[in-house]
Amino acid sequence: MIVMRAADKTMTCAEFQDALPELFESQVDLSGHEHLKTCENCAALVRDLEYIASQARLLLPIQDPSPAVWENIQQAIRQGGSSGPAAPAPRK
Amino acid sequence: MSLTAQKIRNSRPLGVHPHGKIGMERFVLMNAGPTQPRPANQHLRRNPPIAGEQEAITKAQNGDGRAFETLYAMHKRRVYSLCLRMLGNVAEAEDLTQEAFLQLYRKIGTFRGDSAFSTWLHRLAVNVVLMHLRRKGLPQVSLEETLEPSQDDGPRKDIGARDLTLSGSIDRVTLERAIENLPPGYRLVFVLHDVEGYEHNEIAEMLDCSIGNSKSQLHKARMKLRDLLKTGQRKEQIA
Repeated sequence: MIVMRAADKTMTCAEFQDALPELFESQVDLSGHEHLKTCENCAALVRDLEYIASQARLLLPIQDPSPAVWENIQQAIRQGGSSGPAAPAPRK
Repeated sequence: MSLTAQKIRNSRPLGVHPHGKIGMERFVLMNAGPTQPRPANQHLRRNPPIAGEQEAITKAQNGDGRAFETLYAMHKRRVYSLCLRMLGNVAEAEDLTQEAFLQLYRKIGTFRGDSAFSTWLHRLAVNVVLMHLRRKGLPQVSLEETLEPSQDDGPRKDIGARDLTLSGSIDRVTLERAIENLPPGYRLVFVLHDVEGYEHNEIAEMLDCSIGNSKSQLHKARMKLRDLLKTGQRKEQIA
């Protein structure tokens, strides 16, 4: 947990951005960070990075593999017998 | 707002290398370990229970081919998407989807139900991809080296004019394309953490790097994505 310090107010942009990876991993609400109250540039950066991470969490699997994948799996299983295949079949 | 994603489990460190259609950067190396997942709670949002899955698992564990096909149908999309995002290459993603399900066929008897089946399977798929990358690897380079800051991907420290803000403006396709264009090392950590929900300690174990490096790599990946997305926005505005 990162505690806000009075020194946060006097952080430069470089210092703040250097600290960002750890700040993101902490549970602190960055919107209350002293540096962001006076620096729109860093505030926009934080908003963007949070937005990217939040959008990434929403990405869903939407594409299916081609039917050849299952055909190859079946073929490999047949060739491998009941004990299971030793290696995948080559791509068709 | 915390950026911490949900937890998934277990680890099997492997080796990694430059790869995919974007492959030009060298990164990562590792070795192997056990694969049985630990219990997880937060995976349920991303890995909700699937109707009929448990029955299919039990039957497949007893050698029922149709049940295995059912499991394939249930999970092929997620496994393939995972492979595709990690590799950025359709042909290799299909090959490794095939390999992942063949490994599943061999190992399904060892699934004990300590975690959700999908969590276990996805971890298996991640391991398949990482092993593939290690096999492909030419000269292996420590992840530490790729984490050295550079002028290209380091944080912007200037206080310049206000720039476009991304919030609310990025659709899924645009984000997917930007992820695809990340350097491979960045893409791996970003996909594992922000998309798949692995924790830094799990990623560090998988990629044989420190937790700090995983965090740093993730931050740089997000910064690079921001640049890519903003560049795309500027081009759209000009066009």
